[in-house]
Amino acid sequence: MNDILSNPAIRKRYATEKRFRAMCFGAVVFALLFLVFFFADLISKGWPALQQAEMQAEVSYSEAVRDGKYRLAVDKRLRKIVSRGWLRALPLYLEDHPELVGTTTTKWVVVIAEVDQYLKGHPNKLKPKYKKLVDELQADGKVQLAFNTYFFTRGDSKMPELAGIKSAVVGTIYVLLLTMLFSLPVGIMTAIYLEEFAPDNHFIRFIEVNINNLAAIPSILFGLLGLAIFINFFGVPRSSALVGGLTLSLMTLPVIIISARVALEAVPDSIREAALGVGASPWQAVWHHILPLAMPGILTGSIIGLARAMGETAPLIIVGMVAFIPDAPSSILEAATVLPAQIYTWTGEPLRAFAERTSAAILVLLAVLLSLNAVAIWLRQHFEHKW
Amino acid sequence: MQEAAKKISISALKLWYGESRALHGISLDIEAKRVTALIGPSGCGKSTLLRCINRMNDHIPGCRIEGKVTLEGQDIYAEDVDVVQLRSQVGMVFQKPNPFPKSIYENIAYAPRIHGIAKDGPEMDALVESSFKKASLWDEVKDKLQQPGTALSGGQQQRLCIARTIAVRPEVILMDEPCSALDPIATAKIEELIDELKNEFTIIIVTHNMQQAARVSDFTAFFYLGDLIEFGNTNTLFTSPANKQTEDYITGRFG
Ligand SMILES: Nc1ncnc2c1ncn2[C@@H]1O[C@H](COP(=O)(O)OP(=O)(O)OP(=O)(O)O)[C@@H](O)[C@H]1O
Ligand SMILES: [Mg+2]
Repeated sequence: MNDILSNPAIRKRYATEKRFRAMCFGAVVFALLFLVFFFADLISKGWPALQQAEMQAEVSYSEAVRDGKYRLAVDKRLRKIVSRGWLRALPLYLEDHPELVGTTTTKWVVVIAEVDQYLKGHPNKLKPKYKKLVDELQADGKVQLAFNTYFFTRGDSKMPELAGIKSAVVGTIYVLLLTMLFSLPVGIMTAIYLEEFAPDNHFIRFIEVNINNLAAIPSILFGLLGLAIFINFFGVPRSSALVGGLTLSLMTLPVIIISARVALEAVPDSIREAALGVGASPWQAVWHHILPLAMPGILTGSIIGLARAMGETAPLIIVGMVAFIPDAPSSILEAATVLPAQIYTWTGEPLRAFAERTSAAILVLLAVLLSLNAVAIWLRQHFEHKW
Repeated sequence: MQEAAKKISISALKLWYGESRALHGISLDIEAKRVTALIGPSGCGKSTLLRCINRMNDHIPGCRIEGKVTLEGQDIYAEDVDVVQLRSQVGMVFQKPNPFPKSIYENIAYAPRIHGIAKDGPEMDALVESSFKKASLWDEVKDKLQQPGTALSGGQQQRLCIARTIAVRPEVILMDEPCSALDPIATAKIEELIDELKNEFTIIIVTHNMQQAARVSDFTAFFYLGDLIEFGNTNTLFTSPANKQTEDYITGRFG
């Protein structure tokens, strides 16, 4: 032992090794710090958006309100701090519920974002007169912060207190389902053909090289491609979930093809020989033996590809999916937006209340992405247990 | 009489992998219900020749053959031959045991099902049992048919692969160094098995083990660099080889 350490060459090697290990460890810590900082920042900014100020007020459903004078629904003193968007929706609401006309109720109504920010102790532009009013109301227990259901049940709005992610979530689901529908079968079949059946010639090699190149192309170019092909040539409606799904399919295809090929390649040749040797046709060998073995890998790769597509904004800007969408689309041909696009839109809003919602939307997006990855892991394990 | 016993006839078989020629015109007759051993130094083309007999080489890109291989007089490379059909007549056991990563039962049942030999249910159960019995594996696996085939020992896996091959009721079984991954005891079991199987099947076996060739085979073919050097009765070939190269090889002076 002493002998070894007294040998300068060996000592030097030990020192180098130690230094190298310390550097690697440092890199990990650095990366972790970034993550911690990122999440801490997001959560501290986004958390408040899950609460929204509301006020207990007497609401009179008079005929005047139904006929359009919605401002009369609440007392003049409180009128300025009640959300105007909420007031404006009253006539329609009363048309749907005529039996309520002429009655009065006391209920919690949503207030303007400035009051909300004031209550949360954030910078705001609330006039001193209203600050005093809110303080008084708070002393009476007539103003409170409650769970922000609107954030999850409403679409976009110009009034932050009414803005939610619902239409973006619905749009994301549509787009993702469509992307899956188009890219999974085509991608997996292409991978199977290239990996198992394609002859080894220049043409096939040319295709392979280009698929690998496609995976490295900036995503915004896929947007341009989608615009040129789907919107201009095939006439798919602009901004629709359909055009978004098709565009993202183009972008995801190479990723799925490549990961599926890797998964297929990883299946040992001995399994192919075993299947062919007992007289399975090439198609049966793939379908009965190789594909099931490659499936966990294919699924993992596909989910990662889809997750990437889900977080994508650039190509969707090009096909017009970054739009103001107050109502969730009810078909794949209607104008829609997706979560990252919604986040992008909100980051452009100067109001502090939107910044809060931006962070909250990012948290939702991250939660979904992490769940997707969890599903990928679960699926992989589930399949691996089968044999 | 001699003509009738001929199961497989290979004549002037040449094979190229891309530009390089692996077989230089092989002519060889395989007798029915006998064991024929293929021996020779590594890379001389034994596996290649074996794989010509069930057309496994079809799946190797760039592989090209010339010449003729007939199974009971029928050219297996003729246009109208169905490869799947052929492989149900000519089964193959590989060098490394390669059970499907499925249950032990399913390993056997798979091929009969796709060939429509037996229906799932009692008929299949019986076929699985008889196949295992023929491969002398039944007693070892009968209580764990639903366990994965990959969980068996190497020797058991190889017998599972043999059982899988005979479940299709082939006429010919090709074995490519079936014992090379096995210990002496497992090897002895397989050799015993080959001895029994030759009552029913025509067997062609590639081996690097001279004693094994001498023990199990009736005929032996010696290959060198893609040429068939000597072919004959195993006893004759091992006791009085006609060719100097054969003698050198079997006495261990090269290869
Ligand atoms: N798939 C292939 N592609 C190209 N060349 C091949 C291929 N398989 C075999 N060869 C070549 O063909 C020749 C014969 O190979 P083969 O596998 O038949 O030898 P073998 O006698 O079985 O050897 P071993 O005893 O080592 O298994 C070798 O020179 C080998 O390099
Ligand atoms: Mg070989």
